[in-house]
Amino acid sequence: MRDDLKVGVFLCECGGNIADVIDLDEVRDSLDVEFIGQFENLCSLNGRKIIRDAIFDHNLDRVVVAACSPISHEKTFQDYVKPLNPYLMDMANIREQCSWVHDDSERATHKAITLINASIEKVKQSDAVDPIYCQTPDEVAVIGGGIAGMNAALSLAKQGTKVTIIEQSPSIGGHMAKIGKVFSPVKIAEECGMCLLNPILNELVWNENIEVLTNAKVIESERRAGTYNLIVEQSPRYVDTEKCIACGKCAEVCEVEVPNDWNDNLSMRKAIYRPFGQSYPESYVIDMDNCSKCGDCFRTCNMRAIKLRQKPEKSLLQVGSIIVATGHKLFDMEKRPEYGYTRYADVITQSELGRITGVNGPTKGKLLKSNGEVPKRVVMIQCVGSRDEKPDGHRYCSKICCTVALKNANIIKHKYPDTDVLICYTDVRTPGMFEKYYKHTQENEVRFLRGRPGEVVKKGDNFIVRTEDTIKGEFVEIEADMVVLSTAMEPSMGTREIAETLNIGTTEDGFIKESHPKIKPVATDVQGIYVCGTAQDPKDITDSIMQATAAAAKVSEYNYGGVEIEPFIAEIDKEKCTVCGECISRCKYKSMSIQDDEIYIDPMSCTGCGKCLVDCKQRAITVNGNVDEKIVATINGVLSKKREGERMILVFLDNIGYTAADNIGVNRLSYPESIHIIKVISVNRVRPRHIRYALENGADGIFIGEFPGDLMYDEVERKIGMVKECIAEMGHNPERVTFSKVYIPYFTGLARKLTDFDNKILELNEAK
Amino acid sequence: MTTQKITDSPIDFAEDIILDVKNSKEDGVLKCVQCGMCTSTCPAARHSDYNPRDIIERVLEGDMTIMEDDNIWNCFYCYTCHSVCPVGNSVCEVNQILKQFAINNGIGYDKLYEYMGFADSYFTAAIGAIPEIFFEDIRRDVPGWWEFRQNLGDIRDELELNPPLMPPEEVIDEVSTILTITGFKDRIEKIRQSQEEE
Repeated sequence: MRDDLKVGVFLCECGGNIADVIDLDEVRDSLDVEFIGQFENLCSLNGRKIIRDAIFDHNLDRVVVAACSPISHEKTFQDYVKPLNPYLMDMANIREQCSWVHDDSERATHKAITLINASIEKVKQSDAVDPIYCQTPDEVAVIGGGIAGMNAALSLAKQGTKVTIIEQSPSIGGHMAKIGKVFSPVKIAEECGMCLLNPILNELVWNENIEVLTNAKVIESERRAGTYNLIVEQSPRYVDTEKCIACGKCAEVCEVEVPNDWNDNLSMRKAIYRPFGQSYPESYVIDMDNCSKCGDCFRTCNMRAIKLRQKPEKSLLQVGSIIVATGHKLFDMEKRPEYGYTRYADVITQSELGRITGVNGPTKGKLLKSNGEVPKRVVMIQCVGSRDEKPDGHRYCSKICCTVALKNANIIKHKYPDTDVLICYTDVRTPGMFEKYYKHTQENEVRFLRGRPGEVVKKGDNFIVRTEDTIKGEFVEIEADMVVLSTAMEPSMGTREIAETLNIGTTEDGFIKESHPKIKPVATDVQGIYVCGTAQDPKDITDSIMQATAAAAKVSEYNYGGVEIEPFIAEIDKEKCTVCGECISRCKYKSMSIQDDEIYIDPMSCTGCGKCLVDCKQRAITVNGNVDEKIVATINGVLSKKREGERMILVFLDNIGYTAADNIGVNRLSYPESIHIIKVISVNRVRPRHIRYALENGADGIFIGEFPGDLMYDEVERKIGMVKECIAEMGHNPERVTFSKVYIPYFTGLARKLTDFDNKILELNEAK
Repeated sequence: MTTQKITDSPIDFAEDIILDVKNSKEDGVLKCVQCGMCTSTCPAARHSDYNPRDIIERVLEGDMTIMEDDNIWNCFYCYTCHSVCPVGNSVCEVNQILKQFAINNGIGYDKLYEYMGFADSYFTAAIGAIPEIFFEDIRRDVPGWWEFRQNLGDIRDELELNPPLMPPEEVIDEVSTILTITGFKDRIEKIRQSQEEE
């Protein structure tokens, strides 16, 4: 019955890309189909008319487009075959996998005929199926309430999206709130950071689409059909934010004093406190780890806002997408004892210097040493923990420390022109406009020494900074009475934790990894989760805001555009299913779960690998799209064109391997004509019986490639091992089957492996 | 002014060092950014004109004259540069390789001659003992060392340290044989002769 289907074949010349190598006249003569036509550029807009007219004129049921790779134009031709169902069209890749990898015209032409024939046989097995559209809820969780998270939230809220900010500390604001002064390379001036932050904070507080949860953490995450179910745990504040008017009487009576972490522990605060003057929510909070529970605050509070019996609360938050903005922390100076940070009060970090010079800091903006005097010489040491391959160091450059040092040096010079400031650097990295700020700093008489100090020791009242002046080539000892360390930025604990909770990839340095750092910024490797700010890599405020708004734009794209999913995924026959749960435990992609006493398959995470099929005793699962039949038909389509003495190797690859194979063509490398690549939705769908069938019907070799990052990799590798044993028992040579790792970037390796395998098969054939 | 000719390949010198069996840092030497952290912690740099950063600079420039520079003999292998280098280089190892290059080129025999006592002790005791010619200096510089040295046998007895300080005769013979077969002895002789002739 399927043999009666009317198939139309459309051959594309692709300028000369295809027609210069492949003899298309020969191709037309060799294929027996209802319609076959040849066109210069099928993907151009008039291709749509050509294809549609032919479908009507010849009553076509199925279409094969023999042109470029489906990776390039499958979507285009799925659209051009309207009104046919998009899945009744198949592409034969005669460019990337034929004309671009072979130069012998006769053999390339024969291979093109073979590939097109395989597509014709395959497409006859296709049925009309509809793509699955998933619409994600237009609600977003922004994790982290620093400058990046705040901007991402605001941008989305202004576009009408409901946003929940989940902030771990008692106030939003993040690092920017405590920086003191920020600078602009264009204005060449330092400005009040809080004055820039406050309007953003206010706008956010008044926006009705934003809810802020402080003292809150995401502790669990689960994804169902595009909806994330987040379990958020909120630690108690012990102060009712609705009632507290932030009058501060409670803190006045509190007798417990502890180091103030917001001031980098350079001053003290009470056990009941407000993190900083502009903190939001505008309310006090009790640090229960240090509270003596004396009850003084409770008795003093006129508003009766203090609630000592509050308990942690867990709540469920359902969102369509997530923006991770969990930020950074600074390098732990205990790891570099040679600089004396833990031993000497006047060896400080740039962050602490920012607090000291901040008007809301421990000294109200006065630059003072621990003994209350103004330092005579401040030496700044760059690259502490950055550009450092020593244990616990970071190989990367933290990007902002050069300009931070320049800023703080300028701030010192403005107020204390008599204080000598010397910056010990390896390279001053001030790209773009920042270079002007560097010159401005030199004009302010800040001094620079090229050398990376090895240690700081105390000698009498002063420190000795030991370094080499590498320009003079001279070992120098510099006396200083304050040393400031430019510490590396590294992923915050929150960043590391959320990566684990949400199961998103991180870089070797522990930052959140973008799905493609060059052309897919802000997307993570999990659909619907985006990243911005210093959770992604070290960056400054401006870059954080830009990335935050980019992430917001991507979320909107995703929320409004919906997600189209290929329909070739598992389906449950509810009549047969006994809800035994076997499939749930087998599925490597965690796409199955029980909902309302039925097995539910999340279409977004199911890859159609078919692992669940094998283990279902009730045979209640099917994978849409006749995948099995299509594989068999494709094998037949290839092998039926085998000529006397021709070597035929079948290569099964999924989307990743297929892309790598395309890259061989794109880069104009080559491999033998015997190689016939068959694209499958999952390599796991190539079953032992397919391999056996192919070998028994003329295939000389079978090559199976899988990306090691695929969750099914181990499984497939194990299975191929078993298949080899099995076919050996049946009298075939197991060396005719091979399994190999494939990676998109290593297409040269794949070309070599394909060539090597062809040589091996040639040897085996000759030995026979 | 120096001219770099189109046919010059200064990096070859660094390549030779990388390929040397003593080099444990792979391409470390090529990653040097001349930050000077090695020099800032180097005891030899503090007390002499030895400059570890400069050593790497000259190696990367392909400056072979460094083998003739007396300064390379001032490094005593404390490995501080090795442990502080932010790019994972080891000047200390590079220095050892340079010294070996120098010796292979007949340079530095006079420097080695001072240490012949160490070499001799391998033959006489099968261990690297401190040569007697240094005793006076150490006695002056290290308070208490001489007394310790005099009473070492008693101290070891008291601490019940086993085996005895000196290896047995057959071990000494075996080590001597190995050193002779492997050509160590010939090299020592060559160095000694070259210096004693002068």
